[in-house]
Amino acid sequence: MNEKIGKALVVGAGISGIRSALDLAESGYRVILVDRAPHIGGILSRLDYQFPTDRCGMCKMLPMINRDSSSQYCLRKGLFHENIEILLSTEPVSVQGEAGHYRVALRKKPSLVSEELCIGCGECIKACPVEVPDSFNAGFTTRKAIYLPAPHRIPNTFVVDTDSCTMCGACEPVCPTGAIRLSERERRQFKILVVDDELIVRDSLKELLEDEGYSVDMAESGAAALERLSGQKYNLMLLDIKMPGMDGVTVLRKAKEEFPDLTVLMMTAYATVETAVEAMKIGAIDYLLKPFETDLLIPKIAGICNEFEIARARFVDVEAIVLCCGTGFFNPADGKDTCGYHTLPNVITGIEFERIVSGTGPCGGQLIRPSDGKRIEKIAWFQCVGSRDLQNNADFCSNICCMYAIKEALLAKSGTNGEAETVIFYMDMRTFGKSFQRYRDKAQGEYGVRFENARVHSVVPEDGTGNLLVRYVDTCGKIHEECFGMIVLATGQRPAQGTGELAGITGISLNAWGFAETAPFSLTETSRPGIVIGGSFSGQKDISESVIQASAAAACASRAILASGKGPIPESPPETVSPELLREPPRVLAVVCTCGKSILAYTDENKLSARLKTDPEVNHVIFSARICTADGWDELAGQIRKFKPNRLLIGACLPYMYGRKLKKAEKETGLNASLTEITDIRTPVIRFSGENPGENKAAVIIESHLRMGLVKLKQAEPSTAPSLPVTRNCLIIGGGIAGMTAALAIADSGIKVDLIEQSEHLGGNLKWITETLEGFSTLTLLNDTIQRIEKNPEIEVHKSSSVLASFGEAGHFMTTVENSKKKIRTIEHGAIILATGGKETEITAYGHGTSEAIVTQKEFEQRITARSLDPSTLSSVVMIQCAGTREEPKNYCSRICCAVSIKQALFLKKQNPEIAVYVLYRDMMTYGFTETFYTQARKAGVIFIRYTKDSKPEVMVSGPVPKVKCFEPTLGKDVEITADLVILAAGVVPELPAGLASAFGASCDTDGFFLEAESKWRPVDSIKEGVFACGLAHSPRTIAESVATAEAAAQRAIRILSRNRLPSGKVTAIVRHSLCSLCGQCIEACPYGARSLDTENEKILVNPAMCQGCGTCASVCPNKASVIEGFSTRQILEVIDAALCI
Amino acid sequence: MSEFEPTIVAFFCNWCTYTAADLAGTSRLSYPHNIRIIRIMCTGMVDPQYIIKAFLEGADGVLVSGCRPGDCHYINGNYKARRRIKLLREILPQFGFDQQRLRLTWIGASDGVHLSEIMRAFTAQIKALGPSQTKLKMVI
Repeated sequence: MNEKIGKALVVGAGISGIRSALDLAESGYRVILVDRAPHIGGILSRLDYQFPTDRCGMCKMLPMINRDSSSQYCLRKGLFHENIEILLSTEPVSVQGEAGHYRVALRKKPSLVSEELCIGCGECIKACPVEVPDSFNAGFTTRKAIYLPAPHRIPNTFVVDTDSCTMCGACEPVCPTGAIRLSERERRQFKILVVDDELIVRDSLKELLEDEGYSVDMAESGAAALERLSGQKYNLMLLDIKMPGMDGVTVLRKAKEEFPDLTVLMMTAYATVETAVEAMKIGAIDYLLKPFETDLLIPKIAGICNEFEIARARFVDVEAIVLCCGTGFFNPADGKDTCGYHTLPNVITGIEFERIVSGTGPCGGQLIRPSDGKRIEKIAWFQCVGSRDLQNNADFCSNICCMYAIKEALLAKSGTNGEAETVIFYMDMRTFGKSFQRYRDKAQGEYGVRFENARVHSVVPEDGTGNLLVRYVDTCGKIHEECFGMIVLATGQRPAQGTGELAGITGISLNAWGFAETAPFSLTETSRPGIVIGGSFSGQKDISESVIQASAAAACASRAILASGKGPIPESPPETVSPELLREPPRVLAVVCTCGKSILAYTDENKLSARLKTDPEVNHVIFSARICTADGWDELAGQIRKFKPNRLLIGACLPYMYGRKLKKAEKETGLNASLTEITDIRTPVIRFSGENPGENKAAVIIESHLRMGLVKLKQAEPSTAPSLPVTRNCLIIGGGIAGMTAALAIADSGIKVDLIEQSEHLGGNLKWITETLEGFSTLTLLNDTIQRIEKNPEIEVHKSSSVLASFGEAGHFMTTVENSKKKIRTIEHGAIILATGGKETEITAYGHGTSEAIVTQKEFEQRITARSLDPSTLSSVVMIQCAGTREEPKNYCSRICCAVSIKQALFLKKQNPEIAVYVLYRDMMTYGFTETFYTQARKAGVIFIRYTKDSKPEVMVSGPVPKVKCFEPTLGKDVEITADLVILAAGVVPELPAGLASAFGASCDTDGFFLEAESKWRPVDSIKEGVFACGLAHSPRTIAESVATAEAAAQRAIRILSRNRLPSGKVTAIVRHSLCSLCGQCIEACPYGARSLDTENEKILVNPAMCQGCGTCASVCPNKASVIEGFSTRQILEVIDAALCI
Repeated sequence: MSEFEPTIVAFFCNWCTYTAADLAGTSRLSYPHNIRIIRIMCTGMVDPQYIIKAFLEGADGVLVSGCRPGDCHYINGNYKARRRIKLLREILPQFGFDQQRLRLTWIGASDGVHLSEIMRAFTAQIKALGPSQTKLKMVI
C-alpha cells in the first residue's frame, strides 16, 4: 500500500455519511465507511418519500463523473465505490493520536452468518422460534431473531440479532450452505476457567457466566487448573486463593510463568489486603470478594471481556475522521404528556406513519390503520412533541418536523384521492427552507390540509371505534373538540444513542442538550482538529442541509489529509483497447452458477450446455457450484486463464454484486470487464416458489435468460470510457464570506483560484454586521479570512472586476473578465462557483422611507455601529417580521430575519431594560438551537404578537412618532402601539443576475436564487456539471450556513479539479457522424446539456463527462446516429428476439 | 388444449422498477413466470421500434415501467416515455395490435408488492384478450 495516499474514516453510513464518503472517494482519497447497523442508508432506508418533491431520488447522489468507479443502481440496495471500504455492524471503540494521524480501533459485531456463504434462501427464518417486533417497520410487524436487516439490501444475506437470539441452534442445521455459525458469538469466544475447590462455587459461577454468554470450564484444584491451561487457551482465570494442596498464589505464579498473557482475577472469602496485594504484584489484575455480588461481578468480567474485544478489533490509521452519526428521536412514552402514545394504538409517531405509507411497510403502502385494518379517514398531526418544550429539557426546535408533517399530510391526501381529512396542530409552521413556504401554501390552498394554530389539551379514546377525541384550545382561548382516526406525533430530535460514548472516545465536545458542538462560524469543525461533523450529528437537519454539511465535512477532512502530508491516489492512465480485440470474433465462455445444486432441480446440466453450444460463438460452458464465493471466483479466474475467452457470460443471481470482482478479474486475467454480461437466472427461479411453472418451463426460462445475456454480450463493442482533460483552475465570482471560504478551501488543495469581486473590497455583507446572535464577532472572522486570502499564493483576487462572457463545459471554461480600467482578461478554468451573494430587500411598505423612525434591520444595525442611535433614548420599539416576504411575489422565508430580530431585541433589552419591545410576527422561524434565544427574549420581556397575512399591522406616520396598529389575538381586539422606532425585517434578495448565471449554463429559480440540479441530492450543483453556487446567491442563510455551502461547493469543484482527466462511464452516448443529419433533436432532448453542435466541423459533439448514458438522445434520433454503448438498438433488438425465441 | 399462457416482454428501468423487481424476488413475492424482463437504463431509452419489434416477434403484451414522475434518475426520461407511449398506443391498432396489450406504469423502488400486483393484473388482462393474432412479419 502506498504510504502517501490519504485515508479518512467516515462513521455512520446514513445519507450524510454516504455523501461525505463519496465526495472524498471521488476526490481520490481512500475511505472507510462504517455503520453500526447491518445496512447502509440510515433513516432514509425507511422513508419512501421526501419533501418537497414527495419522491425519492437518492440515486442522484452517485458519482456523475467516472461513473464506472461506483455502483450504478438504487442506493437502497447498497453502495460500491472502488475507493470506499464499507464495514457494517461496526463501531469505533477507541481513537488515538492527533490531527493528521489518528489510529482508530473498529469493532465488528459478528453477524453469526457468513456473508460469503449465505444465499438468502430464508430456510433459517422458518426454523427460528423467536419472534420479536421488527424495528425496521417501527414494530408494526414482527421478525425472527435471524432476519434480513433491510428489504432491498444486496447481498440479501441474513444476520442474527444477538440481543433477541436465544442461541437455541435451530437455524444452524437447516442452512443448506452451512453459513450460520452461532459459536462465533463474541462472548462465546471469551473462555473463562473457574478454579475453586468448592463445587457449589464452581457450579454457580459457571451457570451465571454461561447465562451471560461466556464459555466456561472448571477446575477443582490448582494442579487440575494448570493441566487445563496447558491444554487450551483461556482468556480469563477466576482463581480461588485458599485451596487445599496448591494455593491460589502458587497457581498464579506458575500459570504466569507459562502463560504471561493470561488475565487472572483472584477470589477469596477471607480477604486480607496482603494476599490480594501479593497476588496483584505477581500479575493478577484484581480480586473479588466471596460471597459474590452479581452486580459487581458481571460488570467486572464484562469490562475485561470488552478489553479483550478491543484488542481483537481492527486498527486503522486515518488522517481525518468524519462523524455522520445522525440523531435519535424523542420517545413520547417517556415524556410528561404522552398524548396516549403506547397506550392508544392509533397514536403513532411520524416515523411510524412513514412506515405505514411505505411500499415495504406493514400495509404495503395502503393508508390503513395497522391496529384494526380500517381505512384512515381523518388524521391529525401534533407538532413539537418533545421539542420547544422546557418541561422535557428541550429548549430547541427540531428543524424538520413541520415540513415532514406537511409532507405526510399530502401523502395521506394522495393516498386517499384527496378524501382524507388532515389537520396539523402547530405553534409556528417553520417553513424556513427554500421553496418550503410555497409547499405549505400549496398544501393549504390546493390540497385542503388544515393548519390549526392551537395547543392540544388532551386525547381520549372514543368508545369501541378506536378513534380519538382531541380537545384543543385555539389562539383566542376557545376550547374545541374533534374526533380523529389517527394521531401522528411529530417527535423531536434527541442525540443518537451512544453519542456521549462516541464524544468520549473522539474527544469532541457536546452542547447543553448532548448534541455534537461545532466551532463558531462552522457547521463541521469540532473542538478537535481533523475530526469533523457531517449531517444531523450536531442537530437534526433535512436532507438538503445534511448533504451540504456532509460535503462541507468532506472538504474539511480533505484539508486535514493534505495538511498531514498525504494526498490522493495517483490517476491511472486512460484505458486502451488492443486493436486485436476489436478484430477478433467473439469467443464466449458461459458460466452457470448452480447455487449449490438448487438450479439443477430445474434444469439439466448437459442439456443446457448442449443447447447453449448450438451457438458457434459459445466455446465453453462450465458450471460452478457457487460463483459468489471467493473460491468460486478463483476457480472461474483459473478457467478464464485456461480457455482464454474474449467474452464472459455469467448466469447467476444479483448481477450488481460483481462490479468489484470483475475489475479484479480484469487485472488478473486480462479479460476486458466491459465484455462481460451477468444475467440473473436465479430470481426468475425463486419467483416460481409461489406457483407451479409447469413441466420444463423453468429450464426454458433459465435458457432464455442466458440467451438474452448472450446476444447482448456478442454485440458488445470493446470500449473504454472516454475522458476529458481538465484545466486545474477554479473561478469564483463574489468576494463575500462564501466566495472567500470556497477560495480558501480550493486553494488549500493546491488548486489555483481566480476570485472576482465587483467592489473595491472583499467582505460582502460582513462589512456591516458586527456580531451574531450567539455573540461571535464577525469582524474577527472577516479580518482573519481576508488575511488568509491575501497570504495564499494560489489565490488571485480581481477586485472591481466583472464577468463579460463565458463558454465551455466541465473541465474547461473560458471566461472574460473586465476590471474598472476596462482592461479585459480571459481566464481558463475547470469549474466555476457562483458566490455573488444577496442583500436586504429594498422596501417601501410600512412607511419605510417616510420617517427616520422606520428602519430596516440593516439600517438599525448600521446606526448602532455608527452610534447615531442611542438605545437609552428609546422607550418603545416595534419590529415587524416578514415585511415583504412570505407572500407572492417573494413567497419565501428569508430564514435569518427572526434570529436577527431576537438578537436586536435582546441587545435593546440589555442596553436599556426599560424599552418595551414588540415583535409582530407570522411564524417565529427560530429553528434549531436558536429557539433558546427566543425563550430568552420572552423571558427578557419582549412581547410577541402574531399577525396573519390577511390582517397585517399598519404603520401610521402622521404624528411625531409612528404608531403601529395591529390585531392582538389573545385580547381579541386591535391595539395601537406608539413606537419610537419601527424595525422592519425586509428579508433577503439574491444578487445573481440571470444573465450571469446563464452565461455559465446555470439558471435561477422564480425568486432569482440559484436553481440547484436537485434541491435535496445535489444542493450546490447546477444541472450543468462544473457549475456550483454557495452563500446568499444560493438561498437565504446564516453566516455559518453560508460557510457550509461554500465548503460544499468547493468540495464539489475539487472533485473535478483534483484530476488531470475526467473519465466518464462506459455506458455513454456516441454519434455516428456518417448517419447524422444534424437535425439537433438530440441536443434538445439531452437533460444534462451534454450535446452541442460544432458548426465549424458540422458535427454533433457529446461531452462524455456530462453524458450520463440515459439514452434519450438515441430514442429521439431519426437516423439511429446516436448510439448508447452497451444499449445499442441492435443489441436490444437481439435481446427481444432472444426473449421470444423459445 | 392447455390454458393460454401469454408471453410478456417487460422493459424495466435500471433504477426504480428493476429494484422493485429484485425486491419482489428477495421478498419471495411470486409473480407470473411468463414475463421476460429486459433491463434498460431509463424508460426514456425505449424506442417505439423495440415495442413494435416485441409484438411482431410474438409477444402477447409489452409492459414498460420506470420511476414515478419526479423520481427519474435522469431528471425527465419517464416523462418522455409517457409522451412517446401515448402516441404509440394511438398507432398500435394500425399494426393490428390491441392498445391494451401495451402498458406503461410507474413503480418505485419500494413497491415490490405493487409490481407483483401489476404483473398479475396485466397477465390476467392479456390472458383475457387471448393470443396476439398478428402474424405480420416486418423487418425492422
